[in-house]
Amino acid sequence: MNGEEIIRFERVTKEYDGMTVLDDVSFAIERGKFYTLLGPSGCGKTTILRLIAGFIEPTQGTIYFHGKPIQNVPPNKRQVNTVFQDYALFPHLDVFENVAFGLRVKKMKEADIRRKVSEALQFVNLEGYERRRIQEMSGGQRQRVAIARAIVNEPEVLLLDEPLSALDLKLRTEMQYELRELQRRLGITFIFVTHDQEEALAMSDYIFVLNKGKIQQFGTPKEIYDEPVNRFVADFIGESNILPGRMIEDFLVEFAGQRFVCVDRGFAPNEPVDVVIRPEDLELAAPEAGQIVIRVDSLLFRGVHYEICGYDENGNEWLVHSTKKAEVGEIVGLRFEPEAIHVMRAEREDGGE
Amino acid sequence: MKRTHWWGRVYLLVVFAVMYTPIVYLMYYSFNSGGAMHDFQSFTLKWYRDVLSDDRLLMIVLNTIVIALLSAAIATILGVMGALAIYYVKQQRAKHVLLALNNVLIVSPDVIIGASFLLLFTIAGIQLGFKSVLLSHIAFSVPIVVLMVLPKLEEMSPTLIDAARDLGAGHWQVLSGVVLPFLAPSIWAGFFMALTYSLDDFAVTFFVTGNGFSTLSVEIYSRARQGISLSINALSTLLFLFTMLLVVGYYVLSQKGGRVYGIGGRK
Amino acid sequence: MMERTWRNWYLVPYGIWLVLFVIAPIVFLLYESFLDMDGHWTLANYEKVLTPIYLKMMAYSFWYAFLITLVSLLIGYPTAYWLTKTKHKQLWLLLLILPMWVNLLLKVYAFLGLFGTYGLANALLQTLGIGARQLLFTDFSFVFVSVYIFIPFMVLPIFNALEELPPSLIDAARDLGASAWTTFRRVVFPLTLSGVKAGCQAVFIPALSLFMITRLVAGNRVITLGTAIEQHFLVTQDWGMGATIAVVLMAAMAVIVVLTGTGRKEGSR
Repeated sequence: MNGEEIIRFERVTKEYDGMTVLDDVSFAIERGKFYTLLGPSGCGKTTILRLIAGFIEPTQGTIYFHGKPIQNVPPNKRQVNTVFQDYALFPHLDVFENVAFGLRVKKMKEADIRRKVSEALQFVNLEGYERRRIQEMSGGQRQRVAIARAIVNEPEVLLLDEPLSALDLKLRTEMQYELRELQRRLGITFIFVTHDQEEALAMSDYIFVLNKGKIQQFGTPKEIYDEPVNRFVADFIGESNILPGRMIEDFLVEFAGQRFVCVDRGFAPNEPVDVVIRPEDLELAAPEAGQIVIRVDSLLFRGVHYEICGYDENGNEWLVHSTKKAEVGEIVGLRFEPEAIHVMRAEREDGGE
Repeated sequence: MKRTHWWGRVYLLVVFAVMYTPIVYLMYYSFNSGGAMHDFQSFTLKWYRDVLSDDRLLMIVLNTIVIALLSAAIATILGVMGALAIYYVKQQRAKHVLLALNNVLIVSPDVIIGASFLLLFTIAGIQLGFKSVLLSHIAFSVPIVVLMVLPKLEEMSPTLIDAARDLGAGHWQVLSGVVLPFLAPSIWAGFFMALTYSLDDFAVTFFVTGNGFSTLSVEIYSRARQGISLSINALSTLLFLFTMLLVVGYYVLSQKGGRVYGIGGRK
Repeated sequence: MMERTWRNWYLVPYGIWLVLFVIAPIVFLLYESFLDMDGHWTLANYEKVLTPIYLKMMAYSFWYAFLITLVSLLIGYPTAYWLTKTKHKQLWLLLLILPMWVNLLLKVYAFLGLFGTYGLANALLQTLGIGARQLLFTDFSFVFVSVYIFIPFMVLPIFNALEELPPSLIDAARDLGASAWTTFRRVVFPLTLSGVKAGCQAVFIPALSLFMITRLVAGNRVITLGTAIEQHFLVTQDWGMGATIAVVLMAAMAVIVVLTGTGRKEGSR
């Protein structure tokens, strides 16, 4: 990290009725980047967002904004704005008045309000919709109103709480692209919360993977995908083959009853590890040419590829994405490069780089 | 679902006929020159003239309206505060206790409310009359307003308040800019309910009204106990028309409100 | 947190109302019930409540309230049921509720004419060949008028319960081979029981304590707890006894509310 730091969490813990939802979390957020908080429901990602927005206060620890603690600064005095999951648009106000709400609260001049609102609506491609009622807008349009309403206040950080979850698949893909574009044009920090790993990989500069109130891994989408630090991250970030194994020495790992050359090092000799191989890194081959031999158990056509599931002689399950077809019951070989083998320390729950 | 069996229709028809017979009967005989609620002799407006020239009665009508408007307005303010108070209480137990206490006056029979208020005013040394009737009407209308407003408040997505604060609104701005406009239809509905409860109340008023002060219900009761007088019929016709106006007003408001709630309920 | 301090302000006016008009009256009623007519402490009122005269009156009160509730239910349920099947049901419902907005006293007063010796009811009986009879000041007129007054309070909650019933459930029952009657008995009625409960509560409790209907159309033939309370407070001025009856009545109602579950009523009276 080298940019200007905006937000810093220092050993922040949040408890609700004795339940720890955020457990001693520390991290920093830089200006102008797109961050994603990724994790299953209940992992604490929304709690982080609400802590930043100021709707709740940490039980322990400190949150800094530009190096100054912001405890006891109410949400209406913070330089952040939120796009809510259900949009939280005011049903009694039209589009224009919804967007103008924050400006009116600041008692801005009428002419300035008009100019800023129309700019914001232009930004989200909603010019001409000023006087529409919220009820007359579609899901995607409401989404844009919610974004316009937030960015019109020129926040330093925009918080987005699963804003795409209510949209259908096609619209969601479109909005992913638009949000990414918007962030580049505005140049402000986005903190985006989602449980959808594809969304996170597609949009973010950096991803925090969270589970059980702890940050499991922080990194760029590529780092997270290629080098998951533990089983949870590997599992959550995409379909994977995860096998127990043993690190014999640097660049040599043993799993599925065989030894393989790999690119990992720095483990203790004979250290137990988990090995991750992505299904798309596996290649079908003739049984005698395969490093692993499996019996095909089931086969699904997924459009771009076949999803093949089979078992090797040790009973390990293997998932393969292949453009080639195989028959159920057929014995096939699997080939993979040393780079495709990702070795992680076994039973390692807490993360960080 | 749209099929109605013929006997279903006949049944409804009979029920509705029975529901409306007394009202129509009352109005019909208000034009009878005969002076009784049978044997219609000839059409007359005499009873209406009697009503409109009865200064005492007109004074009572005025009293009733003043009490209704004042008590409904004050009860609405108190009731909205009550709903907000209950809404913001976060402990479930305390919330249940508050709700139970709120509903005491709604489930209690009027006679008991009347008797206990009579006791209250006597012990507190408040003279029976306008003041005691107004206070009673405010008192029994408050929980009704709370019950009308609270469900809409619970229906409101909490992120709406978060959103307003997020956009820089202070507590007062959240209330006046978001919460109250959102609740407006239910607040109006509560006001109308309070209004009609006040106009309609007999039993409570009967207990706490003194000698010098009377509302329409109490007056009708004391006149009806003396037997039939067609000026009561005339009065009831006028009241019925007035009530219709109120109902139409209420209906229009609740229809309008329905549209707004529709969105509030969306998740 | 900072919210706490400002939010509690709403509790202040509302709390004052609660204490003054909900808690204080109950406490005063309880207090008064232990006083005799001269203001001395006594248990005599409670002893008197347990004498046969008062017990019989209570039994009568409960019997009539039960009768009124039962008749209201028997008439109200089919009404609600068929209302949900009409085309413009909201309009019909409004028409049914409309009489609720007519002053209660006026409706009762109308029956003085309708049930009078020369009234419409007797004229109808005569044309049917049954012959005129005394209707006013009988138990029949009391129950009839009471049911007339209370029927909307019974229909409303049942109507709402029926409306909330997903139509697919009925289709499912029919699909599974149930006849219309079986569907009603096994699916519709059990699922609208909450509405029935709410309706019964909304009728039974006020019916226990009616007094002006009794006075106007039942003469003094029917004496209920309501009439007794009114009598003691406003006529004989024996407030202690009136308060005692009120306390007993409230205790009885509390038991009923607990037994039938604390469903909210759609309206009072």
